[in-house]
Amino acid sequence: MSEIETYRAKARAWLESVAPKYARAARGHLNLSVEEDLALGRQYMAEKYDAGYAGINWKTEIGGQGLSNMHKIAFDSEEMQFGMPNGYFGISLGMPIPILIQYGQDRAWVKERVVKALRGEEIWCQLFSEPSGGSDLAALRTKAEPDGNGWRMTGQKVWTSWAQYCDYGVIVVRTDPTVEKHKGLTYFWVDMRAAGVEVRPIKLAGGDSHVNEVFFDAVRLEDSQRMGDVGGGFGVALHTLMIERYIATDSAGFGPHLDLFVDEARELTINGKPALKDGRIRSAIARNHAMRAGLDSITKRAFAMMQAGMQPGPEGSLQKLVAVRSRQKLSELALDLQGNQAFDFDPHAYVKEDWGTSWLNAPTGRIAGGSDEVLLNTIAEKVLGLPQDHRPDKGVPFNAIPA
Amino acid sequence: MSILYDEGQQAIGNESRRVLDARTGKDRLLKLLEQVGEHDAAFWDTAVEQGWTALAVPEEHGGLGLGLVELGLVAQASGAATAGAPFLTPGYGVTHALVASGKADLAAKYLPQIASGVVRGAVAFAEGTDVLPAVPATKFADGKLTGTKPAVPGALKAELALVWASGTNGPVLALTELAGAERKAVSSFDNSRLYADLTFAGTPAEVLAEGPAALALAREVLARMAVVTAHEQVGGAEALLHIARDYAVTRKAFGQLIGAFQSVKHRIAEMYGLVEIARANCIHAAAVAGTPEFLLAAADARLTATEAYDTCARDCVQVHGGIGVTWEQGLHLHMRRARSLAIEQGNLLFWEDLLVETLTGEAA
Repeated sequence: MSEIETYRAKARAWLESVAPKYARAARGHLNLSVEEDLALGRQYMAEKYDAGYAGINWKTEIGGQGLSNMHKIAFDSEEMQFGMPNGYFGISLGMPIPILIQYGQDRAWVKERVVKALRGEEIWCQLFSEPSGGSDLAALRTKAEPDGNGWRMTGQKVWTSWAQYCDYGVIVVRTDPTVEKHKGLTYFWVDMRAAGVEVRPIKLAGGDSHVNEVFFDAVRLEDSQRMGDVGGGFGVALHTLMIERYIATDSAGFGPHLDLFVDEARELTINGKPALKDGRIRSAIARNHAMRAGLDSITKRAFAMMQAGMQPGPEGSLQKLVAVRSRQKLSELALDLQGNQAFDFDPHAYVKEDWGTSWLNAPTGRIAGGSDEVLLNTIAEKVLGLPQDHRPDKGVPFNAIPA
Repeated sequence: MSILYDEGQQAIGNESRRVLDARTGKDRLLKLLEQVGEHDAAFWDTAVEQGWTALAVPEEHGGLGLGLVELGLVAQASGAATAGAPFLTPGYGVTHALVASGKADLAAKYLPQIASGVVRGAVAFAEGTDVLPAVPATKFADGKLTGTKPAVPGALKAELALVWASGTNGPVLALTELAGAERKAVSSFDNSRLYADLTFAGTPAEVLAEGPAALALAREVLARMAVVTAHEQVGGAEALLHIARDYAVTRKAFGQLIGAFQSVKHRIAEMYGLVEIARANCIHAAAVAGTPEFLLAAADARLTATEAYDTCARDCVQVHGGIGVTWEQGLHLHMRRARSLAIEQGNLLFWEDLLVETLTGEAA
């Protein structure tokens, strides 16, 4: 067995040992409130830290385990199968904290934050999107102006996940409106408890409220909170997106496994005949299986390449695009297949086990973290070398862009 | 087996691409479309010269002892060039059947000739719309075949055929020399595939497998050929992806490159997605040949490769506009080949069913 496989087996054994306390199967029926579930999640994160599975691919001097990206992916893909209460910490540890590690000025303070974040004691959010631009990040309008030896920030962010539970955030703001839009941005960290910060949850179509609007009214930032150069914020933000390459993927598009669809087809009928014998259903099963197998093989190959010290190919960027939109369609078909029984809907059902919530929440997956259209543009431009879209804002100072 | 190509495998892929790029010409291929009964002889000479016919033949029979991974890489290169005589894939099917059946005398007789390209193979399983009929109408009794197999790829010129027939006790997988069969050329949209109706009238044949073993071997042969074809389809699809991309960065309309329009660039990005998913499935399937996972992996590869080649053929023409539908421009070479390869080794409908049967454990 390779070292990674040994590690994976050890990780699985540990996950199984704590599963009775934390796994979806153990807590799913308890009807916990978000606050209760979050408290349980913090406990889980602390246990995970003590067991040595936190910050797996981060350096030991910053509080990590000093292992490789493959170790992290191996652990994450095992962990994902248990449905642990770790969703609140995914963004925090996925993007803001790695950026803090890279760019934070006060190293002792940074290390303290990293350990507290790994233990689930503190949560960080990422304040990027604004009403004026989500996909178009550099169109943001929140501004920070010099204020003595620091800055004063005013504006609004939106779609900020878990902001209502966050202690800190990382934020990109405009510090110079007189230059091209992506050149006038600067990256800071911000104390979410500071005076002038207000968080308002947004209720989403699926009924939950994990995203928020965040308002900043003349919030004071010290210059020591700056990460990267003044005017270098867009580059730091792009760096964030590079980190995402080493996240575990899910060819089910974070929806139910195809086996659940097959089970349903075994039990249900179409016009009195077994659904599993119906050509339309068989076609859907076969096409989805083939597509998911392809995505899984892409993941396995990327993993093997990393193990061999090679750089994985750009085809990894297909995962979310392909998986989530097919999850959306398969969820619709699964509900159709249920007929009137589909109307019996539980808004709190787990999206990886329930076709109703999977369907209703699928659009979020196709928009968040790069919409389908933006991902297609990225593949077309970065992988295939096709030209950029017509860009009337290009080469124009931000404050001269036609409204 | 590893899912990363080793240096030797990469060399086979690169070399076959290089050779075919240098030796394949659109004009020659276009002429072949209008001639019934002619194949791409230059390709076949190249295949023999390069040792591609010997790739998957065991070393003790004069072959190179390699397998599906290497043959897949050659097929990918020939798919990209819309080259290919219809013998490489069925030749491999016949080879595998001979090796797997354990008939040492027949293997010793035919495999060296297959390796050297003297004998070309055809595989005659389908009848009517059935890819692998439960009870084939072609009969086998007393060492002789009787009946007709319609439109068998390569059969017009192949020397040897593997035939799916009904025996006295269930199905039979039989091997016959085609000198003793009547062949009638089928005029097709992709004529260099040499489709021919094969009629047997008491044609002598040897049994490779009988009963349930024959069905298992026939499926295995079909699955292996489907994986070779899937590689060929990926090669074709990828070539079309590049042709579409190259056109979109040269052709201008409304004052800009057409590749800057999202309707065009997204179409091409979707082609990329289909190609990469199919490629990943092909690599996986070739790597698990001979294991219990293989049939499902072959179905995955076949379904995604067919979808990739069909979609790329359709959309590459669309990206080109009017020039794309001209004879001379030649994109229809890919359109035609996409369709012939989609049907050879079993259509999507067959593979969807086989995948679901395998996945759910339904009785075959």
